[in-house]
Amino acid sequence: MTEPSAPAPAAVDPLEPWPDTVTWRSVSPKLITVELINRAIWVIVLLVALGIADASIDHWIWRAAMAVVLVFAAWRSIVTVRAVKAWGYSERDNDLLVRHGLVIRRLSIVPYARMQFVDVTAGPLERAFGLATVQLHTAAAASDAKIPGLPPEEASRLRDRLTALGEDRAEGL
Amino acid sequence: MTAADAPPQPEPHPDSQPTPPLSGVPAGTVVEDEPRRRLHPLSPLLSGAKSIAVIIAALSWQTLSRVGVERFALVVAIGAVGVVIFSVIGWLNTGYHVVGRELRIQDGLLWRRNRAIPLDRLQAVELRRPLLAQLTGLAELRLEVVGGAKTEAPLAYLTVREAAALRERLLALAGRTPGAVDRAGAEPAAGPAATPAAERPLFRVSNRDLVVSQLLTPQAFLLPVGVAFVIMQFVLEGSWTFVGIASTVTAMAGVLLQPVRRVLQDWSFRLARDPDGRLAVRYGLLETRSQIVPLNRVQSIGVTWPLLWRAVDWLHMRLDIAGYAGPQSNDDKRSDRLLPVGDFAAARALVWEVLPGVDLATLETTTPPRRARWLHPFTLKTVGAGLTPEVFVTRSGLFTRELTMVPYARLQSVRVLRGPLQRLLGLATVYADTAGGRSGVARDRDLAEAWWLADQLSIRARHARGQPPATTAAAAVTAAPETAAPEEEDEAYWRRPQHP
Repeated sequence: MTEPSAPAPAAVDPLEPWPDTVTWRSVSPKLITVELINRAIWVIVLLVALGIADASIDHWIWRAAMAVVLVFAAWRSIVTVRAVKAWGYSERDNDLLVRHGLVIRRLSIVPYARMQFVDVTAGPLERAFGLATVQLHTAAAASDAKIPGLPPEEASRLRDRLTALGEDRAEGL
Repeated sequence: MTAADAPPQPEPHPDSQPTPPLSGVPAGTVVEDEPRRRLHPLSPLLSGAKSIAVIIAALSWQTLSRVGVERFALVVAIGAVGVVIFSVIGWLNTGYHVVGRELRIQDGLLWRRNRAIPLDRLQAVELRRPLLAQLTGLAELRLEVVGGAKTEAPLAYLTVREAAALRERLLALAGRTPGAVDRAGAEPAAGPAATPAAERPLFRVSNRDLVVSQLLTPQAFLLPVGVAFVIMQFVLEGSWTFVGIASTVTAMAGVLLQPVRRVLQDWSFRLARDPDGRLAVRYGLLETRSQIVPLNRVQSIGVTWPLLWRAVDWLHMRLDIAGYAGPQSNDDKRSDRLLPVGDFAAARALVWEVLPGVDLATLETTTPPRRARWLHPFTLKTVGAGLTPEVFVTRSGLFTRELTMVPYARLQSVRVLRGPLQRLLGLATVYADTAGGRSGVARDRDLAEAWWLADQLSIRARHARGQPPATTAAAAVTAAPETAAPEEEDEAYWRRPQHP
């Protein structure tokens, strides 16, 4: 049964299971900019706070903290570029595949028939760059099928397609 | 306090048509209106009593000793009057009625709520009778629907007959979904159909076993040590105050609370199949619960072998139903018992009843590859996962062994996760999510096998949902492994017992 010998596909690219059957679509590279700006805002807030602290109480620890924040931000920014490229989704005949994550790599397989509702959200920064996030919800809280960084027309196409397929094959529970 | 005293309410269905309240409903052809019904007039007193108990508990022993008995009683009395007045107003504003295939409930005083529950989404119905309700012949009806963090529709309180009749009626309406297994027949039972005589009893847990099983818990084992420690302290310090002793007793009760509560809750646990093939679960001493679960609502079954029970070879089984709160909620509040304590033979028979075709004795699992021992130094042999024709089986745990069965038909989604260490070792973990809040988790499988497992799970789930397999080339390729080797192997080890 769970013997991997017979049925397992031979060559497995870690991020691309069933390589013959799945064509991954990636999210918009503009998401990198959004994420970077998002992070920059936080970093600036932190640095300002630390700077005020440094001005009032002169101690080396504030400057050390600033350095740590900067190094951490730089490292996260490099990771972000790769993390955004790691997002991918694929609409198969019966289910939606979503993969993401660099450190912990995740792949979700959500059948259209199990769809409860679809969310399309866009924060202020995402809107400024013309991006939206589509999230598919099932009755299981653990299912995570979230696709960020989609252009609005792609987001609404995906939403409409998912809803249509969900109605087509509906069996919520 | 008559109905006329009630403040004006948004009433979409005027009380003009005096439909006989609990008569059988003709099969969905006419959208029937019926008058909105109130809960039993004693309800405010009963729900008030609960709040008074909470007030007393909040005031605690220390307050009693500080302010004296008279003042304490006065505070409690004022609180009680306030609570009862509040409950009465709440009761006046609460009502329910069945409209078509919906149950509508109105409640709320300041924030009015008018809730419609589509009955084809009903997961389970539970009839609860707390102690006071038992004394007054009342019952609370709780409906479980998906998506709520708690029971979304408690009707507290109705008379027992009313509650039982309403439950039968709701379940009959719920059973007529096109998608559901329609064993209830086309015609819902006319009139109050509370006929427990026609039930087929399945299993009964002896109370002696229940008490013994709860004595075999860590809490009960450690209690004598705790008592000895406290008494030692008293003897050494020589201070015997009322407050001190009372607090100690309360603390002891707190430690013993869980085992004692389990015994009280699971007292005289009985399982039966009702005439329509649903599972009827009844248990409880001070608060009796009677729960009816349609079998197609069972999301997963978990079996647990606690360490201390292993000497007597007992196990515990739970039933996951969508709608009961997620795993983070308090264990005692959940009504998810399938078997509070029992031996293997009983468990096997019960699993066969609930998931026909699944035999607990022949569920085969394989362990992760040997290199996974870096992640499970001691427990590698206890971790496992397997695909059987009906369910996805996973097991884990060295001291407390656990086994989870997820029927393919109830799968919501499949996830594959790979942490950094797992990537280093070429391993992956596969999750099979259900609406019941718990997932079947196949830990640290070989990577290729994990992809295969995930693929198999989604294919089998699709077949179990009764969809024709997709005809495109993509699906044909993914479907190939299933029809090849694994199916045959499944059949090879699959010994179907005649009837356990």
